[in-house]
Amino acid sequence: MYQEKVKAIQNEAKESFLKAQSVKELYEFKVKYMGKSGLLSQLMKEMGDLPKEQKPLMGKWLNEAKTVLEALYSEQETILKTKELGSKLVSERLDLTLPGVFAFSGSAHPIKTLMDNIIEILERLGFSVRLGPMIESDRNNFEALNIPADHPARDMQDTFYIDNKYVLRTHTSPVQIRTMETEKPPIKIVAPGAVFRCDSDQTHLPNFHQIEGLLIDRKVSMADLKGTIAYFFREIFGSKTKIRLRPSFFPFTEPSAEFDCSCTKCGGNGCSLCKGTGWMEMGGCGLVHPEVFRQCGIKYPEWQGFAFGFGIERMAMIKYGIDDIRLFNENDLRFLRQF
Amino acid sequence: MKFSLKWINEYVDIKEYLLEPQKLAKILTNTGLEVEEIDNAKEKFNKVVVGQVMERGAHPNADRLTLCQVSIGSGVVQQIVCGAKNHQVGNKVVVALPGAILPGNFEIKISKIRGIESLGMLCSEKELGFSQEGEGIVILDKEAPIGKSYAEYKGLDDIFFEIKVTPNRSDVNSHFGLAREIACLTGKEYGFPIKSFEEIGESTKNKIKLEVKDAKRCPRYTGRYIKNVKIGPSPDWLKARLESLGLNSINNVVDITNFVMLELGQPLHAFDADQIAGQKITVDSSKPNEVFISFDKSEIKLTGEELMIRDGERPVALAGVVGGLNTGVSEKTKNIFLESAYFVAAAVRKTSRKFGIETDSGYRFSRGVDPESVLLAQNRATEMIASLAGGEILGDIYDIYPERLEKKEVQVAIDFVAQQLAIEINPEKFIETIKKIGCKVSVQSDGMYRVKPPGYRHDLELEIDFVEEYARLLGFEHIPEKLPATQHSPTPHNNSYTNENSVHNMVQSQGYQQAINFAFVKAGFQKTILGDVRKLRDLGLPMSDEPVALKNPLNEDVNVMRTSLVPSLIKNLDFNYRHDVAEGRLYEIGFVFDGKEGSYGQESRLSFVAWGSHKGLWSAKEVPVVFEVKSVIESLLLGLRSKSWSWQNLESAKVPDFLHPGQSASLFYEGKTIGVVGTLHPKIREEMKLRCDVAVGEINLEKLMQGQPKIPKFSKLPKFAAVDRDLAFVMPIKLTVGEVTNEIRKVGGSLIKDIEVFDVFEGGDVPEGHKSVAFRYKVQDPETTLSDEVLLSLQKKVIDSISQKFSITVR
Repeated sequence: MYQEKVKAIQNEAKESFLKAQSVKELYEFKVKYMGKSGLLSQLMKEMGDLPKEQKPLMGKWLNEAKTVLEALYSEQETILKTKELGSKLVSERLDLTLPGVFAFSGSAHPIKTLMDNIIEILERLGFSVRLGPMIESDRNNFEALNIPADHPARDMQDTFYIDNKYVLRTHTSPVQIRTMETEKPPIKIVAPGAVFRCDSDQTHLPNFHQIEGLLIDRKVSMADLKGTIAYFFREIFGSKTKIRLRPSFFPFTEPSAEFDCSCTKCGGNGCSLCKGTGWMEMGGCGLVHPEVFRQCGIKYPEWQGFAFGFGIERMAMIKYGIDDIRLFNENDLRFLRQF
Repeated sequence: MKFSLKWINEYVDIKEYLLEPQKLAKILTNTGLEVEEIDNAKEKFNKVVVGQVMERGAHPNADRLTLCQVSIGSGVVQQIVCGAKNHQVGNKVVVALPGAILPGNFEIKISKIRGIESLGMLCSEKELGFSQEGEGIVILDKEAPIGKSYAEYKGLDDIFFEIKVTPNRSDVNSHFGLAREIACLTGKEYGFPIKSFEEIGESTKNKIKLEVKDAKRCPRYTGRYIKNVKIGPSPDWLKARLESLGLNSINNVVDITNFVMLELGQPLHAFDADQIAGQKITVDSSKPNEVFISFDKSEIKLTGEELMIRDGERPVALAGVVGGLNTGVSEKTKNIFLESAYFVAAAVRKTSRKFGIETDSGYRFSRGVDPESVLLAQNRATEMIASLAGGEILGDIYDIYPERLEKKEVQVAIDFVAQQLAIEINPEKFIETIKKIGCKVSVQSDGMYRVKPPGYRHDLELEIDFVEEYARLLGFEHIPEKLPATQHSPTPHNNSYTNENSVHNMVQSQGYQQAINFAFVKAGFQKTILGDVRKLRDLGLPMSDEPVALKNPLNEDVNVMRTSLVPSLIKNLDFNYRHDVAEGRLYEIGFVFDGKEGSYGQESRLSFVAWGSHKGLWSAKEVPVVFEVKSVIESLLLGLRSKSWSWQNLESAKVPDFLHPGQSASLFYEGKTIGVVGTLHPKIREEMKLRCDVAVGEINLEKLMQGQPKIPKFSKLPKFAAVDRDLAFVMPIKLTVGEVTNEIRKVGGSLIKDIEVFDVFEGGDVPEGHKSVAFRYKVQDPETTLSDEVLLSLQKKVIDSISQKFSITVR
């Protein structure tokens, strides 16, 4: 009789398990039939009333039923879980054509980007950054650079004056002076920064940026200068870039030269960008003038040096294809966001 | 300077280059005289001739056009339709014939204008490319020869070079000088043909007494008396030559002095000898407070320093710069005293700079003329005056030149030149090259030379100058390229460059775009925006009451140095907003300036402007934009590993004038206030018609960067789990979240790690005048797992202490 009872519960449970629609329902059935106070457990309790010899038999029936049901339960549970996961995944479908959760990232001004780019290239050659103030003494901006008062070379730069002895630096060269006076040679520096000229038109801003390199060592030649400039331009404009030096005049260098690089657009064949010449004027350079060494208290010709410098705006216009210099100062976000 | 190749060809044969001027330009550019522009006027005015209007009638089909019959020489008369009205029968005009190509690539063709055939065009100044505008056609002199090529008539049958003559090369500030340079570069012969003239028996010295009192500033002075000159217009060729080179024709004598200046580089001055008081000329310093009136009638108050030419009574010329009105050559002049002198460059330059007088004469003297050409120029002008103005030339001229100016010999070692250029040098070639430029070379010892430069080369003074000279003439392309082999050990970058770069990176990563503005601004705008600067000073942003001003600003929009970056950023905001950028985040790192005469300082600032929200984004949560500025600063502080910082709401009275008095906070950092953030004052927003939320901030970057970069210090990873606890308080609106947060931190001690605010709201069941603020704090003990008792007692301690201190309740 007990055996039938066990069987009946087992069958009923089996039916229920197969009928269950969800893991939750299945579990409820499990509790109902196999739980602590489930039907099988109740039957187990009734076992106490049985004669001693029937007890082992009864235990066996119950255990068999439990084993069968456990197996069925776990089988059903797997089926239901898979089914539930399937429908859950369907219901969780997202429209990933919605825009991303954007962490807006800003960027550097193109002048800064290019300046860092340039510094990084020169850094590989061992140049390191030095800075100086924008309001400079006449002495550091002119006198020490072999541009005495009443020298016609002063006409080469339209200077903003603060008072009789101070100017807005017209070039980054005063940083050379400051460095030569405070550090011992050998010296290998690059001086980036804002400079000022009393001049404003289609191609000039009164406040623009320059970068300047200076090397002081035992023997320094024009070939070292040429090689450094050539390396630099190949890195900045590509390995096919050529450079040329043309004699020029700067009071603080001798020999002085202007340097051109082959046109980035036509590669030197001549086009509208380079006005048919194949070359683009980039900056000025030369060997450090003995008078500059004397002013800074460095022995010449025991120590020799070269210096070169150029404007960043012009180079940025060429590198990025910018056609209006005023864009650098307007800080129009539509412009800035392109870099 | 503008050069005529036709003229140069008179001293050196450059015919081959007249066909290919680019070739000559290349030679000059490659040796340091940059040819900036080639103007081939000859080609430009091909088929443009002088014509005469013979008939002027109305166009049958157009009221506004005239129908002209124009004689173009050799008896040819052409019918031309003209749109101008200023021409009359008999006028000499400029005719562009069919086939002419005028500036702007404008080709003239035979055409029918309103049904009438027109065989050319009568030209205006604009059409000839001389000016940007021009109504009416050019009417020429009555004497203009019909049929003559217009270019030839105007001296434009020529090729012009515009050359950037560097200040060191004063020797090529003249046509003869450039001819000499070209001869040297091309290995040609050059020469200056001196024409003779006859002197009459009289002596210059009997007419004028000359004394040079300041021989230091005037080492050489020559003077000649020429009598009975006939002042009048210059002949066409002279007029044309001066005009084609940009000088105005004045009268024959003045034109001759200008001609000789362009020819030899030596400025000359002609005095009306009858106006020289006391028949006496003195070269001396001016007298203090004396007034000199220059020929263009400007009054100049002298200081006693300037080198002057004086007569018996008064100053008659500012030596080398400009002549006086009182003794200038006019139509009435009969006798002249012609000056050709050498004034010291620095003296002339000082005077011309002091009074801001820029003349062709001053330009040349201040760069240095050739003392040896002074007399040559004197004689050249004399000869021309005699032939063109019919003067009688007096002899026994003055040439006061007490001490001959000679160039110093320079010792040049060929090894040094070779080392500096990194090339091998053949000694013979070296000597030959240096001699070619007019130097005298003697051998001192093997490989060591003594070189004496010519008097006109003021730029050859040192051994290194000959390195340049040799390189220039050799061609820089012969110098090899190599990377320097150096003993130098690389050093770190300047600390502030490295530090600022990390700030740039951190700020950009928070969505801010870098701006770069001018270091100078408009004084009025800066003042209006900043208002009372004392408030900014109190916030750790030092600035003086008055900004550092420029003595010579470009214009009034950029006349003082910045004392804050905020005004520039507001300008940027305005610009962007006007250009439909409705939302933006900008920052700038830059210097502000301070100081007084003789001592100036600069300090770096980090400033922000943020406007508009990212609204429209489906994921965005809107908060006042000032919190974004605050958070970019906070993330920077975290990135810089700063420990102690806090924000303080500012009392209205202390809020800078450009910020909202109720929405502004200062940043307290490592013991001092170093900046401020806030919402832009609604007043400014309204004035600028900004219809969006705007916040700005400025931080004293110098102070923020003290002690940077900070090296990270590792702390052991916690072994025991942290527990989050939430607490909400109902508190008066006036009570700040900052105060409560600080108190929680204080009470919690080292067990409380992070405190966050995750909800703030008013209304609902919260009583009026109150807000509900929900805090979440993290509790963690590095040594042990937290028991429930510890957590509960901590929570109780926090609640009790907050409730008591602020008399508020837990929600």
